[in-house]
Amino acid sequence: MTSETHFEQSKRRTFFKSGIAFISGVISLAMAVPLIGAAIAPAFKKGQKKWVDLGLVELLKGARHKKINYTFQAKDGWVQATRERSVYVTDEGGGRFVVFSRVCTHLGCLVRWDEKKRHYHCPCHGGIFDETGNVIAGPPPRPLERPSVKVENGILYVREV
Amino acid sequence: MRRRIAAFFESRLPLSDVVNHLKKPLPKHINWLFSLGSMAAFLLILQAVTGAFLALYYSPSPDHAYNSVKYISHEVPFGVFVRGLHHWGSSALVIVVFLHLLRVVLYGSYKAPRELTWMVGVILFLVVLGFGFTGYLLPWDQKAYWATVVGVEIAGTVPLIGDFIAKILRGGAEVGAVTLTRFYTLHTIWLPWLVFVLVGLHLFFVRYYGSAGLPQNRPEEMQGGKPFYPDQLFEDAVAILVLFILLAAAAIFIPVPLEELANPTDASYDPRPEWYFLFLFQLLRYFEGPLEVIGTFVIPTAAIVLLLLLPFLDKRERVPLRKRPVALAVTSLSVLAIVTLTILGGRSPKLETPSEPSIKQSESPSNDANQSEDATPEEDADDTPVFDFN
Ligand code: HEM
Ligand code: FES
Repeated sequence: MTSETHFEQSKRRTFFKSGIAFISGVISLAMAVPLIGAAIAPAFKKGQKKWVDLGLVELLKGARHKKINYTFQAKDGWVQATRERSVYVTDEGGGRFVVFSRVCTHLGCLVRWDEKKRHYHCPCHGGIFDETGNVIAGPPPRPLERPSVKVENGILYVREV
Repeated sequence: MRRRIAAFFESRLPLSDVVNHLKKPLPKHINWLFSLGSMAAFLLILQAVTGAFLALYYSPSPDHAYNSVKYISHEVPFGVFVRGLHHWGSSALVIVVFLHLLRVVLYGSYKAPRELTWMVGVILFLVVLGFGFTGYLLPWDQKAYWATVVGVEIAGTVPLIGDFIAKILRGGAEVGAVTLTRFYTLHTIWLPWLVFVLVGLHLFFVRYYGSAGLPQNRPEEMQGGKPFYPDQLFEDAVAILVLFILLAAAAIFIPVPLEELANPTDASYDPRPEWYFLFLFQLLRYFEGPLEVIGTFVIPTAAIVLLLLLPFLDKRERVPLRKRPVALAVTSLSVLAIVTLTILGGRSPKLETPSEPSIKQSESPSNDANQSEDATPEEDADDTPVFDFN
């Protein structure tokens, strides 16, 4: 021990320092990957698309900006959750329907149809959309979302994502 | 006996050194604004203590959260008081931390060598807002749900990675069960750990650099004041007592709001955030279409960066406020802007509930068209009376 030179001692300590840094690094990295991976995993999950029925076409005949709430089952993490959605349906005639999502394209509040003023307006930051879903005032950057629809066996279906 | 116990510890630990540390004299002319920091620390402890008790009964799942909070308010003995303290305490914390920040700005106490104390403080302020944001989802009522929907969408407007951030915050594509456990965990584990580390650092820096005192203090006055313990701490304690009495009164006399259960399809609900986010809510109204991101991201980020870097942007010597017209003007204007936006946001008109074509429940498609269990369209009850949807 006593015969160790100053040079050897400092070399040894340099080794120790790198050793400590190395071990800390290895453990941190080994932990970071699974922990961060688990935490951000939901961002990579793809939702399944499916068709959800809105109701008998017959009953929606002549509908103008009619609000329909519907539910469907979807997995929410470990829960088999009942998702609730709300849309406005307009019968365009000839078996064609326009469905607007009520989700404001600004920050997600639910728009409402104003029959008197004949537009959709948002209760949050004053966004207004015209009958065709285009923005006419306020902050929303895009027209109202129009999920795909189809009619099959007399039932109107809407595409859920 | 007491003496023997004291002697036991005295001979083993440097207790008197610790006490001496606390007895170091402060600068002269310390006024009550210097108690705001201690008041914030007290409130943080109060939040931790009341939160730990709420957590005994609270259940972070969409099926149970709302009822568990109701249970706390209506059935747990003293539950309504504890929840009241936690609720009003969180508002008080936001106010006190903000005032503390203001006094540091107005006295120029952020200047060298106290840049680190300041920067940790700015982060602490953000963490306090983070507590508020994650906290008010927990009751799972309408306000909780919609404030979170909008709040997460705001994060979603960050250029490029916004969508990714929003999904991580929500734990999926929508606010739901996973979101609630996430927010609960952030609120009760991650943020508290973070806050106590940051407060520890903050206080260490405060002690290490010593109080900056008033800018007009001459160098010989910097050590000439009263000791922190017990003189200053007594004044702090009085301020804290006043604060506590106010909070306890609020907890007893002002009911903590709990709105209806969260409802993702409610047609008549006008979402509004907690009062301390109203300025942001109002700000968002002014940026339309493609400019949206200015209100949601650019201004808030710029404000945070400017705040963080303040000590490096303003390196002039510390002088009394009356000799800092620019600082005074910028600070007053910022405060005025925030207060004005908050008031406007609070007053922003709710939508009158317009009439809307609707069909009677009996004619509703749900009654005929849908036998299948897993896709049931339905008119909700608020639609039933024709042409009225409130
Ligand atoms: C430090 C440890 C903390 C714990 C363990 C904790 C725990 C909890 C729990 C269990 C709830 C749900 C019960 C309820 O909603 O009444 C809650 C709600 C809440 N917390 Fe905390 N909390 C802590 C700190 C904070 C802080 C520092 C703030 C400051 C802003 C805060 C703000 C809120 C808010 C605004 C709510 C919603 C209250 C309501 O309207 O009912 N919490 N907290
Ligand atoms: S969410 Fe509709 S205008 Fe902001």
